[in-house]
Amino acid sequence: MERCLIEGKDLSLRIGERWLVQDLSFSVNRGEFIALVGSSGSGKTTLLRGIAGDIPLAGGQTITHTTSPLPIGMIHQDLQLAEGSTTLKNVLSGCLYRHSSFQTLLGFPEEEKGKAISLLLKLGLQKKLHQWTSTLSRGERQRLAIARTLLAQPSILLADEPVASLDGKWAEITLGMLKQYAQAQDACVICSLHDLDQVDQFADKIIQADPQKPEKWNVLMNTPNKV
Amino acid sequence: MKNMPWYNRLDLPGVTFVLFLLLAFSSLPALEGSGRDLDYWGNFLRFTDQFFPPDWSILGQTMTGLWETVQIAGISTFLASIFSLFLSLGAARTISPRWLVFITRMLLNIIRTIPSLLWAILAVVLVGSNSLAGVIALTFYSTGYLAKFFSEAFESADLKAQKALQSLGSSRWQAFQYGLWPNLRPVIWSHCLWMLEYNVRSASIIGYVGAGGIGLHLKLYAESADSWNKFSLVLLCMLVIVTFLDFTGEKVRKSIREKLEGKM
Repeated sequence: MERCLIEGKDLSLRIGERWLVQDLSFSVNRGEFIALVGSSGSGKTTLLRGIAGDIPLAGGQTITHTTSPLPIGMIHQDLQLAEGSTTLKNVLSGCLYRHSSFQTLLGFPEEEKGKAISLLLKLGLQKKLHQWTSTLSRGERQRLAIARTLLAQPSILLADEPVASLDGKWAEITLGMLKQYAQAQDACVICSLHDLDQVDQFADKIIQADPQKPEKWNVLMNTPNKV
Repeated sequence: MKNMPWYNRLDLPGVTFVLFLLLAFSSLPALEGSGRDLDYWGNFLRFTDQFFPPDWSILGQTMTGLWETVQIAGISTFLASIFSLFLSLGAARTISPRWLVFITRMLLNIIRTIPSLLWAILAVVLVGSNSLAGVIALTFYSTGYLAKFFSEAFESADLKAQKALQSLGSSRWQAFQYGLWPNLRPVIWSHCLWMLEYNVRSASIIGYVGAGGIGLHLKLYAESADSWNKFSLVLLCMLVIVTFLDFTGEKVRKSIREKLEGKM
């Protein structure tokens, strides 16, 4: 099994005439947690969406080395949950690709339910299993979106500010779960973060926007006080 | 401001209000009546005097008629909801191609143009004077409205959850079932409840042309000179049923709305 999961070669991205990323090259290995760091508006979301293939690259390419049925899964900043559905069903919708439409027409397999409940237990949502998502707080909904993507088990998990609405305790638990996921599943996590303490604590590598030249991004190994 | 064309500078609410007043005043001749010197107030008092007290002896048969009315409304709303779900997919711009949207919307416009009473007359001609005629009439009539409401719900639905599930590898059907439908379901159910309330009212009147239900009773009592106290009892029972449905329907719709908006 190849150690490298995803490579970016001379990636460039722009919105209109504005270049957000120019000639970024990086590689991410299995088990690694990568932090994307940059000020607001620096292009972190655009870079993640470019890697996910949601938007076209202006230059360069990404190469993935995985045979997983779900190579890439993303936790979006705006969560993208079904508001009129329950917490449990929203999490379970992450496993749909593993089953046919016919199998999921009337519900989900018990095994998947068990996994979903276990994730919700770890994320403190066990009492809200059958509550409509629209009635959850922003922080709860954020944890729910994370649980859905974790249940999906993508090889490359992209997370756009996944702890922006969480308090310190839940942010630490959640980032810990993402890091553990990468290590246990031979997957990798690429995650945009604002809190530099969290970056120091969890990241193996950092992809950082250059403060002097915003479209230039640098790849650094994480060592204390590097950021 | 000066460079704007004159029609953009128009105070549209003000202009339409003046036009409305002109229409109202030019319609004053409609108040003339027959021109005969009638004692309107005296007539009214004599007429309403015969309403009271309501004749409670016909309560049993009135309730049977009302139950038939509710049944007509219930089954026609159910059938119309199913037909509307399919038709609304064709009428939603975000789902179907333009040619299909055009054809489906034209069809729905035609259905809506025909009032429920006319649908009832057509149905009575088709299947005779019975409650099936009422069901046919109200099914067509409600489909015209429900399909329009449903298609608007489809068009205004947030598609992000559906797209998120597709990006997580689900099939289009699965993304619809678990991403889009949960957001649409409460809105669609709310429209169905409203249509049921509306249809109970409509089903009461279509009996007048022979399409079953309590309307037939109303017609009989109105046509016999000394039965206004029976007529008033039917009206009273209808008032109770419609008020009850209005109240519970509004409660349920409000609860759905608040739950979806995260207020409860």
